[in-house]
This record gives sequence, C-alpha cells and structure tokens, in this order.
Amino acid sequence: MKFRTTEYFIKEVATSLKRNNWMSLASIGTVTISLFILGLFLMVVVNLDRMASTLESQVQISVYLKDDITKEQTEALRQKLNSLQGIDTVNYISKEDAMKRFSERLGDQKYLLSALDETNPLPNAFEITVKDPQLVKTASKEVENFPGVDTAVYAQDIVEHLFDLTRLIRLIGLAIIIFLAGATIFIISNTIRLTVFARRKEIAIMKYVGATDWFIRWPFLLEGVVLGFLGGNIAAILLRLAYMALTQKIYDMMTFFPLIPLYPFLTYITIIIILSGIVIGALGSVISIKRFLEV
Amino acid sequence: MKSPTEINVIKMKSISKVYDNGAVALDNVDITIRRGEFVFIVGSSGAGKSTFVKLLLREIMPTSGHLLVNGYNVKKMPNREIPYLRRSLGVIFQDYRLLPNKTVYENVAFAMRVIESPRRLILRSVNSVLDVVGLRDKYKCFPSQLSGGEQQRVAIARAIVNNPALIIADEPTGNLDPETSWEIMDIFQRINAAGTTIVMATHDKMIVDTMQKRVLAIEDGRIVRDEASGGYGYEV
Ligand SMILES: Nc1ncnc2c1ncn2[C@@H]1O[C@H](COP(=O)(O)OP(=O)(O)O)[C@@H](O)[C@H]1O
Ligand SMILES: [Mg+2]
Repeated sequence: MKFRTTEYFIKEVATSLKRNNWMSLASIGTVTISLFILGLFLMVVVNLDRMASTLESQVQISVYLKDDITKEQTEALRQKLNSLQGIDTVNYISKEDAMKRFSERLGDQKYLLSALDETNPLPNAFEITVKDPQLVKTASKEVENFPGVDTAVYAQDIVEHLFDLTRLIRLIGLAIIIFLAGATIFIISNTIRLTVFARRKEIAIMKYVGATDWFIRWPFLLEGVVLGFLGGNIAAILLRLAYMALTQKIYDMMTFFPLIPLYPFLTYITIIIILSGIVIGALGSVISIKRFLEV
Repeated sequence: MKSPTEINVIKMKSISKVYDNGAVALDNVDITIRRGEFVFIVGSSGAGKSTFVKLLLREIMPTSGHLLVNGYNVKKMPNREIPYLRRSLGVIFQDYRLLPNKTVYENVAFAMRVIESPRRLILRSVNSVLDVVGLRDKYKCFPSQLSGGEQQRVAIARAIVNNPALIIADEPTGNLDPETSWEIMDIFQRINAAGTTIVMATHDKMIVDTMQKRVLAIEDGRIVRDEASGGYGYEV
C-alpha cells in the first residue's frame, strides 16, 4: 500500500473517531464490558479446569498388604506394580510409617493412641498414582488380584464425580465463551454499522468515482480494530486488577486454595483479550460494511 | 481489452433490462456512440433514461444483450473490474452528490485520492479543473455555502478531474433554473470541444432544441428516434 494512502486512512480514522466521539466511546465501552465478562469466564474456567486436574492427579490407590508376606514377596510385588501399564509412582509405606503419619495427623489428640496399647493394627501398604486418572478404576481392580495384596482402595466417588464435573465445567465454559464472543461481534458490528450508515453517501460516491472495495473497507476496518484494541486494553487492565485483588483476598482467607499464580497467567489473558478485541473489531466492521458496498 | 484509440465509446447490442418486479425498463436497444460525440438521451419520466445511465456504470446488470463501455465488456466482466470501468468515465447526477463535510477542493480531490493519485498531481489537476468550471476562488467553501449551479459545477469538476474519455450525466440541470442550466451546458460544450464524449439524459426540451446535438429518444424502454442533430421533438 502506498504511503500517502496509509496516511489518508489514518487521517480518516482519526477524523471519524473525533467526529463520532460519543459513538466511539459507546463502542469501546461495549467491547470493554463484553471482553471483561468473557475474560472473567475464561479465568474461572481455566482455574476450575486446573483445579480439577490437580485433584485428579492427586488421586492415589492405597494397596494394603497381607500381614504374613515376606520381604522378598513385598519386593516382587513392588516390581510387579512398577511394570504395570500407566503407573506413575509407587511408594512403600511400612506399617511404622503409617502409624507415624497417623499420629501426626491426630496432633493434639495423640493420646488416643494409648488405647492401642503399643500395638500397631495398620497394614504395610503401597501407595501408587497413575498417569491418567481414568485408569484408577481398572488399575485397582487388577492390583487386588496380585498375590500378597489384601485390598486396593481409592476415593472412588471423588474421582468419578470429578470427571463429570470437569467435563461439565469445560462444556459450559466453552458455550458461554462462544456465546459471548458472538454477542460481542454482533454488538460491535451494530455500533460500527452506525458509523458506516452515517457515511453511506460517502461510500456510494467513492464507488462512483472508482474506489476499490478494499480501499473503502480499510478505514472502517482500521476503525473497528482501533475500537477493539482500546476496549480490549481497558478490559485487560480491569481483569488484571480483578484477578490480583481476588488472589490477595483468597490468600488472606485460606492459603491452600490452588488459584493459578499471577504470572505468566495474566500475561496470557492480556494477550488473548487484546487479540480478541482486535479480531472482534475487525469482524464487526467487515460485517457492517458489507451491505453498503453494493452500489 | 480497453484501447484508448477505440472509436466506439459505447456499443449496445440488443440490450434489455427487466427489473425484478417485472418492469421492462429497456427493450432490445441497439446503439453506438463514438468518441467525441455529444448525445442527448431524451424521453418523458419513466421512459428508461436513468436505467440506460445505470447500465453504463454497471450499477445494474443488463438482463440480456451485449454492452461495451470504454472497451469494458460490461456484462461479462467480473465485479472486481467495476472500479476500473468507473475510473474511465465521469458521472454527474441531478442531486450533485457532494460530500457536505468536505470543501470544494476536497470534494474534487476525493476522486483522485480514492484512486491513489500522487499528491502533487492532485493539487495541479484540482486547481486546473476548478478553473474550467470557474470556481477557483471558492475552493475553501463547503457545499452548503454554494448555490445549486455552483454545486453542480463542483460535481462536474470532480467528474472530469481524472480526464475520462466519457462523461455521463443524468438530468444534470433537473434541479436548476434555466439561466443556471445554460452555465452548465456551456461547460459541457467546452469539455466536449476538448474531445470528451458526453452522454446526457434530460427531459429539458429547450436545452435539447437549442443545442442541436445528436438525440436518442426513448419511449417505454425503446429507442424511437436517433437523429444526428435534432430537437427534442415531443411535448413533455
Ligand atoms: N429499481 C427499480 N425497480 C423496479 N422498477 C424500476 C426500477 N428503477 C426503474 N424502474 C422502472 O423502470 C422504468 C424506467 O425507469 P427510469 O429508467 O428511472 O426512467 P427515467 O429515468 O427515464 O425517468 C420505469 O417504469 C420505472 O418505474
Ligand atoms: Mg431518471
């Protein structure tokens, strides 16, 4: 594109933004609000998603051993577990370890242990984690049949409900994001349509004097992109502030809540929101100018 | 495909235009207009004059027939070539169609800007055509500050600024009083004398009778008369 043409386009956009200042502000406001909501959902979905997969990956199978097996048998079992398909880690927890952990967990109520009279009713065990949470069920079934194994247990309800929940969250989140993106494009195209409509005579004259469609489209496209970019920036700033405040609040309340750390998460969100603003602005203006090009 | 030495500026063969609602606006029209001619398209309201003009601009598509304008095959060419057809001609309307928020100078320069002419050339050409239409000293005015005749002169300046071989005007004097109309006709005559072909649709009997140019009379979409130098010939 020739330099004087670029200059002309930039001037056109500046003039248009100045002339339609309240309309431009309304557009930017619309983009900001839509992208802010969109961003909020995105952050919630990503956080829930991550939370779910964290919980999923933490699900482990406790393999309790029979009391009468030898060290050699235990070692053989470890090898067998290790060679199992899809197994991530295998940890041996002796009955002494288990008791220590138990008494630690009891904390102030350690005195309860005195009722046991120095005996240790806890079994030796292996704690195994699997690479794919979907494998928990089949793996525990299989392990239960190994020689020397008494039972294999896992938090069945939690795992299975977690699968349903994450699937649902992803689906709803995706639907909401798609809906909001569509609604935003619609609102912006309507706002820019006002600009285009206000200049329809100019467009018609441009066509009569032989301007190409792209020549006519560019300033509007640029205008949409500028509006989308500005709205996206404001939305991104608001989202950053909101997420920082939320992180701080949750930190003050309960430290263990696994929110995604600020960086680079916020950088990605910022990039996504600003890019969305640009794309939405461009799409909106292309849609709104289409009809007026038919002269 | 489009050669400047082409003798025929417009060639219509069996052109018909039927609108979507079934109205037959042009019916099997055969016409040839050569370089340098000055042609009036006359006929009463609803005869098909504007349809004729719109076909030349490819604002509408002919329903059937064959149409060459400045070497462009209007019926067969792809949409993306329309801008280039339009650059090869200048068009003037009854309602001027100026941009109200641009000055006289900017309105004329606009036609060069959108085809990406160099700025130095724009300055020179705009000043020169404003001289031709006698509006050099009003270059800073906005259309609302001008009379109807002056606004039409700006439109003419815009139409000729890119040196088209063909000027098409649809009732350019339709909104003007007789005296102002003559100022416009005087400019057309000078442009024509410099070699530009002019096709003007009008139902102004006095102008046609006085000018004694070629007359194509349309009635109900049909060419009923083609006279080398004639008058309007009908009561309006
Ligand atoms: N867009 C259109 N749709 C349907 N009919 C039309 C349209 N434009 C013109 N016509 C009809 O075509 C005929 C010729 O119209 P037009 O070319 O505008 O005549 P003129 O310019 O000589 O007054 C008229 O009967 C008119 O009603
Ligand atoms: Mg008409």
